[in-house]
Amino acid sequence: MSDWTKDRRHSTEQDRRSNGPSRWSNCRKRGVDGSLRAGGGERENNNRHPDERSSSFTTPESTGPVSRCSMASDWGSLVQEDEDIRRDVQRDMQRYRRRILGTEVAQRERKTSSGSSGSHDSKDEDNIETDEAVLLRRQKQINYGKNTLAYDRYIKEVPKHLRQPGVHPKTPNKFKKYSRRSWDQQIKLWKVKLHAWDPPAGEDQEETQDHEEQLELGDVMDIELDFPTLLPPCAAHSLSVQGEDEDFSGTPVKLQKTEDVEPGMF
Amino acid sequence: MENSTDDYKIQSLDVDAQKILKTALKDPSAVNLEKVSNIIVDQSLKDQVFSKEAGRICYTIVTAEAKQRTGLVFRKNLLNRLQQEFNDREETRARSLHAWTCFVTFICNIFDYLKVNDMPMVVLVHPVFDCLMRLGQPDALMNEEEVDCLVLQLHRIGEQLEKMNSQRMDELFFLLRDGFLLQDGLTSMARLLLLEILEFRAGGWMLSGTAHKYYYSEIAD
Repeated sequence: MSDWTKDRRHSTEQDRRSNGPSRWSNCRKRGVDGSLRAGGGERENNNRHPDERSSSFTTPESTGPVSRCSMASDWGSLVQEDEDIRRDVQRDMQRYRRRILGTEVAQRERKTSSGSSGSHDSKDEDNIETDEAVLLRRQKQINYGKNTLAYDRYIKEVPKHLRQPGVHPKTPNKFKKYSRRSWDQQIKLWKVKLHAWDPPAGEDQEETQDHEEQLELGDVMDIELDFPTLLPPCAAHSLSVQGEDEDFSGTPVKLQKTEDVEPGMF
Repeated sequence: MENSTDDYKIQSLDVDAQKILKTALKDPSAVNLEKVSNIIVDQSLKDQVFSKEAGRICYTIVTAEAKQRTGLVFRKNLLNRLQQEFNDREETRARSLHAWTCFVTFICNIFDYLKVNDMPMVVLVHPVFDCLMRLGQPDALMNEEEVDCLVLQLHRIGEQLEKMNSQRMDELFFLLRDGFLLQDGLTSMARLLLLEILEFRAGGWMLSGTAHKYYYSEIAD
C-alpha cells in the first residue's frame, strides 16, 4: 500500500493547486491545450512522495462528523437520535408555519380595518429558514444548551411569564433566517447567559431529574413567545400529546458543563 | 402473504434460525431481536447470497417493528453489531477475504435498504466509504474477489453515496484511476472491472449503449 494516496486524500485545496490537479497527469506528454509538455516523458514510480509529508499528517479514519456532535457513539443510538431530531424539527416547522400564517391573517385584518396598506403576505414566508440541514444543525446546538443543569434550574426558577427580554436568556429562533455567523453568536450569548444558573458546586444532582417534561414543552413555548397572539386551541392541544414515544428517544444524561461536549461546534 | 417469507433466500440457515427469522418478519415482538440481528449478521458474513438479501429482510423487520410501536430494538441491535464488525474489519480481512467481502456487501446492502425519513443513514456514510476505500487500496486491487465486490457495490449505491458526500467519492475515484493506470500485476479482469466503473460514474452512474455492449456482449471479438 502506498502512503501517497493516503496523503492525497487529506491534502488541502492549496496543495492540489500547487501540484496540479493530479500528479499523475504530469505524465502526459500533452497538456490540456494540446501542446507538448517540456519534460513530458515517462516518469519512474519512485517520484511518489513529492511533498514529503510525514505520515503523521494523516488522520485516522473516522466514523464521521456525526459522532462529534453527539453524546452517544454507537450507531444504533446515533440513528435513533437523528430520526428523532429530524421528526421534531419537521413537526416544529409545521407548527411554526401554522402560527406564523395565523398571526399574519390576524395582522392583515387589523390593518385593513385601520386603513393602512401593505400586503407582504409572502414576506414572512421568505424569512423562514427551511433548509433542513441548517435546521438540524441549529436544533443540535439548542439541544446542547438545553441539556444542562443550568437550563433546568433556569426554567424552574424563572417561570415563563416572568422572563424579560434582554435580561433573561432566550432561546434563539431556529426558523428565522440568519447568517451562520449571526446564529452562532446568538447561541454563544444564550449559553453565556444560561451559565448564570449553573448550580453551586456540590449541589445534589438528583433534584433536577423530574423536569424532562417541562424541558420538552419549553422547546415549543420559546418559539411561541415571538408571536404576541393566538394559539388556536387545536395547536395548544397537540402540545400535550407529544410525549408518547419519548421512552426510546435516548435522552442523554444531564451534563454540568456544556464546554466539554461540543468540540465540533465552532 | 405465505409466499412472502419464502421469497427471502433463507434456506441456507439452519432450521431453528429459519423459524426465528420467519417469526421476526411477521411479528418482531414475539422473538428476541438481538438474537435475530446476530443471526442475520453471522449468516451475512459467511454467505454472499444472504448478505445481498439481508437488507430487504432487515427492512421488513424494521417496518414491522415500527408498526407495532414498541420501539426500534432490532435496528439498534443490528446497527451496533454492524459497528462492531466494522471496527474489526481489518482482522476479518486478514482472516478471510470471503468474510470481508461478505461484510462489505452486507453493510452496503443495509445502507441501500434501511432509510431514516427516506434518507440514507448518515451514520453509515463514512463507514461505507471507508470500506470501499479499503477495497481500492493497491493490495486489495490484486484480488479479483475484492475488485468485484467494490464495483458491484458502486453499481448499486454509488449514486446515493455520491449525493451524501461527493468529496469522498472523488477521493475514491482518484484511487481507482491510479489503480487502473499505474498498478503492476492487476489482472486484465480487474482492469476491465475498474475501467467499467470509471465509465459508469463518468456517464452519470449509467453506461451508454455502446459501453454496455462492449462490457456485456457475449460476442465480443
